[in-house]
Amino acid sequence: MITGYEFGQAVVSGLFIGATYAVLSVGFSLTWGVTKVINLSHCVFALVGAYIAYWLLVLYGIDPLLSLLIVIPLLFLLGIAMHQFLIREIAKKTKDITSTSMILTFGIIVIVENLLTYFYKADPRLVTTSYTGRSLFLGSVALPITSLISFALAAVTIAAVYFFLHGTYTGKAVQAVWQEREGAMLSGIDINRVTAITYGLALATASIGGICMALMYSISPTADFTWLIFVFLVTIVGGLGSVIGVAVGGLAVGLVISLCSAFIPLSLVHLILFIMLIIMLLVRPRGLFRR
Amino acid sequence: MKKVKARNPKLIIPIIILAFLFLFPLLKPGIYYLSFGFILFTYIALACSWNIIGGYAGYLSFGHVAFFGIGAYTTALFLEHFGLSPFYTCLAGGILAAIVAGIFGYPCLRLKGAYFALATLCLALVMPVVASHLELTHTVVGIWMPLLPFSVFTSRAIFYEAMLALTLVIVFICRRIERSKFGLGLCSIREDEDTAQTLGVDTTRLKVAAFMLSAFLTGIVGGIYAYYRTYVAPPLVFDVFMSIIIVMMAILGGRQSWIGPVIGASILTIISEVTTTYLGIGMELSRIIYGLLLVIIIMFLPKGILPYIRWRRPPREKRSL
Repeated sequence: MITGYEFGQAVVSGLFIGATYAVLSVGFSLTWGVTKVINLSHCVFALVGAYIAYWLLVLYGIDPLLSLLIVIPLLFLLGIAMHQFLIREIAKKTKDITSTSMILTFGIIVIVENLLTYFYKADPRLVTTSYTGRSLFLGSVALPITSLISFALAAVTIAAVYFFLHGTYTGKAVQAVWQEREGAMLSGIDINRVTAITYGLALATASIGGICMALMYSISPTADFTWLIFVFLVTIVGGLGSVIGVAVGGLAVGLVISLCSAFIPLSLVHLILFIMLIIMLLVRPRGLFRR
Repeated sequence: MKKVKARNPKLIIPIIILAFLFLFPLLKPGIYYLSFGFILFTYIALACSWNIIGGYAGYLSFGHVAFFGIGAYTTALFLEHFGLSPFYTCLAGGILAAIVAGIFGYPCLRLKGAYFALATLCLALVMPVVASHLELTHTVVGIWMPLLPFSVFTSRAIFYEAMLALTLVIVFICRRIERSKFGLGLCSIREDEDTAQTLGVDTTRLKVAAFMLSAFLTGIVGGIYAYYRTYVAPPLVFDVFMSIIIVMMAILGGRQSWIGPVIGASILTIISEVTTTYLGIGMELSRIIYGLLLVIIIMFLPKGILPYIRWRRPPREKRSL
């Protein structure tokens, strides 16, 4: 039988991993909502962020938290470039943007994954900092410092995205395009600029998620596919169109996974998760937190 | 009379190609070419079967590998327990796949667009987990099947011919569907489901039927493929990547017609084969080229290849569906 201590530990680690899923998902949900593009390559860019951080740490001893200063602007620019040169171009040529973009982004996955494999080999890599492996204790529940840092990073990022979307003029424009594209155009919003910023933001948040993942777990060039599945889960549970939904969805998915894995083998946890997702899709296809 | 005349020259080329493909093993080509042909036909057959639900009805299914795997496991189990040849039992595999598709599809085909795609993706992800926990399917160990009692060349040639015949049948079924009332109904679902329903099209029945037919054909292909590989295991026959590749092939070729998936599957399989086998630059670099080509093709031909070929033809009075 499960003890109170185990239960507490499961809840804590569920919240930690859930917050990271939420950060990974928030940008995915944004680009899906704003441009109707299902960006399969979202997580592969998270992986790029994680590998840059790993590389900076190994070569120059730069702490992953400091490397965020380099990674975030870099991925932001990469997102804008991806929008300007790829997404915008195919959006001009086709109406069925969802399926076309899936091929495009799948191609990007193949390219980036293999580039990473080429440069880093397929071995799993660990981001080992001075504080890796240390823990704080809350009663008898261990709180690994890396997980605490990821959680804080995730919380700050989600809050920042929330305030960007609800508090700034550009953010409100993003929401406007999301809700009613033509209406936004009519009221003088520069759609191109707004969607470009959305892509920049999406990839920047993805890279933060990737670094959180790298702090807690090992990374390998094909890890992104597993992450993507969780991103799908979180987006469906949280529903498109709400940052709060994504945050709660991420935490919920994290909690379910870690509580279930306290009772049953991990592979069966995934089974339960997917069956839950199918039921969820059937009962509330727009997510629990759709406004 | 004019129509017959116009059609005849068009028929000659396909017949020559088909005759060549069927007689190809008589030329005693290398075993590699027979295997390549087999893989090529497998993907064409898969992409065409997928297109029944994904192309005509417009419901993107990322879960077809589930039906493929069900077919593969069914034939493997029949062979193991009853000693029946997969060439006969693949039909049973197809029927089982269709039943699963019916049970899954009836509730899930209510979902639209990306949500349906996600639900089917979940199905594809659930299947390997189930298969690797069931005693019946020998968990993660998988099932080995005996080889055909012939030389390697002969058995490869047999598989080559079998898959070619199966592919032809599937392509013909797709062609028939396109010209039938059933196909018209599916197209109306793709174009505007609500309107179709208002006009009296029983959309639910059509969608479920199309999904089941698609799964049935995929299951048959899976059965033959398993026998060719002589081994089934969860990561091999329930590979989600394969699901995605099938979708890519159909979309790349063009989903409106039976010829689209055939073109898409041929191009992608050939690109993949050529980059990995002939360039000799290592796995990663060849995959990078594969990905780059995928991106370039879709950037220049975002609607798939088919509309750009059709566009050059003189317009007909009746739009073929």
